Amino acid sequence: MRIVHYINQFFGGIGGEDKADFRPEVREGVVGPGQALNQALAGTGEIVATVICGDSWFNENLEEAKATVLEKISKYSPDLVIAGPAFNAGRYGMACGAVAEVVSKQLGIPVVSGMYKENPGVEVYRKFAWIVETGNSAADMRKAVPAIVAMVKVFAAGQTPEPGTYIERGVRVNYMANERGSKRAVDMLVKKLTEQPFVTEFPMPEFDRVAPNQPIRDLSKAKIALVTSGGIVPKGNPDHIESSSASKYGKYSLEGVTDLTAETHETAHGGYDPTYANKDADRVLPVDVLRDLVKEGVIGSLHEYWYATVGNGTAVASAKAYAQKIAEDLHNYKVDAVILTST
Amino acid sequence: MDMENQRRVKEYAEKFGKEQVVCILGGAEAEASGLAAETVSNGDPAWAGPLAGVQLGLKAFHIFEDDIKNQVDPAVYEAQVSLMEMVLDVDAITKEVSTIRNQYANW
Repeated sequence: MRIVHYINQFFGGIGGEDKADFRPEVREGVVGPGQALNQALAGTGEIVATVICGDSWFNENLEEAKATVLEKISKYSPDLVIAGPAFNAGRYGMACGAVAEVVSKQLGIPVVSGMYKENPGVEVYRKFAWIVETGNSAADMRKAVPAIVAMVKVFAAGQTPEPGTYIERGVRVNYMANERGSKRAVDMLVKKLTEQPFVTEFPMPEFDRVAPNQPIRDLSKAKIALVTSGGIVPKGNPDHIESSSASKYGKYSLEGVTDLTAETHETAHGGYDPTYANKDADRVLPVDVLRDLVKEGVIGSLHEYWYATVGNGTAVASAKAYAQKIAEDLHNYKVDAVILTST
Repeated sequence: MDMENQRRVKEYAEKFGKEQVVCILGGAEAEASGLAAETVSNGDPAWAGPLAGVQLGLKAFHIFEDDIKNQVDPAVYEAQVSLMEMVLDVDAITKEVSTIRNQYANW
């Protein structure tokens, strides 16, 4: 099996960040981690050439980079390409992913890579590559190399890697099943009920399980806060919260505010029709109703600030970080409960 | 270990002979110190620098290890090292470095 290896300037021995503008070059044979891969691949395949490109240059000249790297790779007529491993290096992961995209589309051959699960290259390019999950730094090379080699050997044997040995690609493949879906589902259910092993046909994404807080005993004494991912901000969006993939959240005073109006408030959110939120932002952040409830004695008080970000396309990791800071602040103000409104 | 240091270690090992060179490490935690010890003995574990695939087999000691510490002028050690010795996890660091040394060092 003929293999071409794609690596960045660092693993290519060219240099660190100061050499990240290094343009694509080919070296015959192995460079850097390719030495370890080649040793482990003995008898199965051989890295015939290594393409090296600086991470900055690749990402700043994406189209040219993809075309140039593809041209250099295709000259060697490989059966497979190894890109990386990139661990948690973001731009390197994005470059490996882009190489995987162009190689799999244009040459129709598999691309094997290794990345840390939070590398942005995983999210963007996972359907184009067979990505082995690695640790977050190059210190994990000694585990990454055998994992990548094991996957290459699967391809060399003319097989497809087993699910679970790579980061899920989000690719659905049609096949003819012997039994119809309802029968298969009931069979699985019966196995589950009788505690026998079964394999799901549609794995669910992993969500955080958050343990619920203790219930509020007496609402009429509770201090309630409003937090929203619906993007409600003072008119003019003073913190410039982005309409998508928000990089921040805002904290705004409710002092003297009893009603949100088209003159005073609006939404920064770009993921839904903002007309009705802009006409009356209470529809997303119900300040008017909560003021009424305070007056009626249903709740003790309304917290003097509200917190807002835009949920549209915002990374879970960012949302978590904002939530941690907001929760700290709420603790400091001795808030008893929070109403979270989305869109 | 960065590329420049790898290059220097390799150069000195060639110039003075592997059996004549010992590396003294000052890493602040166990994993980094162990990786440096591995780099100069078994080769760069990240396979990126000049020592990728080069097994020099050099002995590496951490400055905290008694074999080295006892050879340093106590006044100098006191002035330069002892403060860090108080705040770092000395046991973990010395255990990691000596484990790697016993596994890979030849000289």
